[in-house]
Amino acid sequence: MTGIMEIVLAGILGVDLFLAASSRLLSCIRWVAVQGILLAVLPLVMWQWSEGTPHMEGILAAACNLLLKGILLPGLLAAAMRKANVKRELEPFIGYSGSILVIVLAGGGLFWLCGKIAPLPPPASLLALPVAFTTMAAGLFIIIARRKAITQVIGFLVFENGIAVFGTGMMLEHGLLVELGVLLDVLVLVFIMGITLFQISREFQHIDSDRLNQLDDSKMPVNADLSVEVEQ
Amino acid sequence: MSLIILFALPLVMAAVIFFTGKKFPALARVLLPLSALAHFALTAWTLFHTPDLEWSCGGHIWLKLDTAGCWILFITSLLFLAVAAQTYFWLPAEYEAAALRHGGDPRQHFMPERIFLACIPAFAGTMTLVVTSWNLGLLWVAVEATTLCSAPLILFHRSSQALEVMWKYLLICSVGIAFALFGTMLLGVAVRSSGNAPGWWYALLSAKETVIEPAWFKAAWIFILAGYGTKMGLVPFHAWLPDAHSEAPGTVSAMLSGSLLNCSLLGILRFYRLAPESLLPFCKTLLAVLGLLSLLIAALFIIRQGDFKRMLAYSSVEHMGIATLILVFCGEEIMLPHLLGHSFIKMALFLTAGNLLLAYGSRSIAGIGGMLGELRRNAVIWTGGILLICGAPPSPLFVTEFSLIATAPAWVGIIVAVLLFAIFAGMTMAALRMTMGEKGTLQCPEILAKRAEKLWLVPGVMILAATLLGLYLLWAFNPIWSL
Repeated sequence: MTGIMEIVLAGILGVDLFLAASSRLLSCIRWVAVQGILLAVLPLVMWQWSEGTPHMEGILAAACNLLLKGILLPGLLAAAMRKANVKRELEPFIGYSGSILVIVLAGGGLFWLCGKIAPLPPPASLLALPVAFTTMAAGLFIIIARRKAITQVIGFLVFENGIAVFGTGMMLEHGLLVELGVLLDVLVLVFIMGITLFQISREFQHIDSDRLNQLDDSKMPVNADLSVEVEQ
Repeated sequence: MSLIILFALPLVMAAVIFFTGKKFPALARVLLPLSALAHFALTAWTLFHTPDLEWSCGGHIWLKLDTAGCWILFITSLLFLAVAAQTYFWLPAEYEAAALRHGGDPRQHFMPERIFLACIPAFAGTMTLVVTSWNLGLLWVAVEATTLCSAPLILFHRSSQALEVMWKYLLICSVGIAFALFGTMLLGVAVRSSGNAPGWWYALLSAKETVIEPAWFKAAWIFILAGYGTKMGLVPFHAWLPDAHSEAPGTVSAMLSGSLLNCSLLGILRFYRLAPESLLPFCKTLLAVLGLLSLLIAALFIIRQGDFKRMLAYSSVEHMGIATLILVFCGEEIMLPHLLGHSFIKMALFLTAGNLLLAYGSRSIAGIGGMLGELRRNAVIWTGGILLICGAPPSPLFVTEFSLIATAPAWVGIIVAVLLFAIFAGMTMAALRMTMGEKGTLQCPEILAKRAEKLWLVPGVMILAATLLGLYLLWAFNPIWSL
């Protein structure tokens, strides 16, 4: 193994930290795009090139990944951001330096934990497992610790990237159709979420997910009638 | 081959409805029940006449129907038909009600009709794919697709609450389902680390010679439960369910509750069947704990509930909890009739709830009273349905819940019986308060009352079918008579 794989994995890990530290949404979206591109390259870097070229299927999957996670999804997110007219994540629940600290600590813990699991078969890197787990943790953390609904979508994408790193790192073969199906689901999800974001910003004049709290069991629905519908 | 047509047909019809809906809205409205009818006919034909219930390509089985699949496919298809028929009659009434209450063009209060009409068959098609898929990756893709097709349906009433719910539904379910993807990958590692490579092919995974590494499977099971459990509404992953079921229109809630929850349970069932012998107690304990928790939380929230659709939603949480308990203590053969009974009755109840919402314009239990005077048919169906869903004989749920209490360990049986009684008390009190007594504070315009009364047929037939099913089960079920 050439060490390129380790560099790619380290890059994916680095993006987690950058995401935790940036408040401008556009730069968050760019970092997610970078992570998507690194993720698409990962299976090609892991391939044993000395033993021949990879299948057509593998190359096709990587190309679709690159197109979708590197270009399409970030583009959709950026469009949603412009339409909803938000630029920054102001006053997150957990501050930026605090966020970095949390992710570094979580990463450290996960690296230590993964050291205790039996080592993976040869082509996989020692880094693959802890990087996958740290990325998943970072994704969940972003969903929880940020206020804007659009940042939650970014967190979901990072979480999904972490799962994909796990799949690639463990050399799991799922077949092209399933791989494309997963990608299509994520694409449609982000598409619908983008439209919803726009509608939320129009309806509520904000996209702060913590203020989406009209529905609650403790509120008796005497006023739960349809007349509270917002007139358009 | 018929399996492919079965899931592709509704998807194609969804596209047709979407594209014709703009120019020919009346045609789109007729196409919905027609496609549901075709789906149901094809399902019946597949279940009764085709010997080969599988479809393979490239040496692998992609789609297959096993016994549990047949049951749940039947439920899904029948519910699709019933909901499509109800939608055809209910939609014009809903527009009329909106025009009466708000004035102006009623359609501005709703999402574009063709999107709504197209999402229903798409939802049914993806659920059919969930039921038939025999590859765990494809199963995941299909379950996530059901979220995507059903989310727009929640937004039918264009209100800020509906938007909030849709956001929660999308985010919570997608993150939850992502856990299930991770769990599926862990299962892949579990089989690979013991030396074979069946991938995600269910036929290979469930073969006797496949060895599954217990440690990895344990991890996989936890993530699968969290993932598909979120979609199924098991406590503590149920946060989205009461909101979504109460904000969505009645027909959509009926589909969400009656078929989507079953499909997610089927996902869990597929993994449960793969559990290595040594891990079965672990898997069962986790399932039973979640089942009991669901029952407990549902009971607590039903007693103090003031919103009748939310009450039905918590009742779905309750029945999913009971279904997992039945799976653990009695096995699949009792769980499947339970799911069937629950789907029939819950669908009738949600459709009736839709009628009540149409008539009164509110979901408040306290505001409705004396329904027997104004909405006689709906009141009868509502009370009958509530009694049946609580397991009063001759409900099919009586038989299944009885066998759960009889077979489970005594302490589980006692807890279940007490909680069921609490739920019975809470739900019947609400139902009686709504149907009997003085007229409530909410006014029901006479013209809307007439409209709501005309929509009795589909829920009425489903209640009747559930009662007949219950009578048959009572007659066929020996353990009760041998006591």
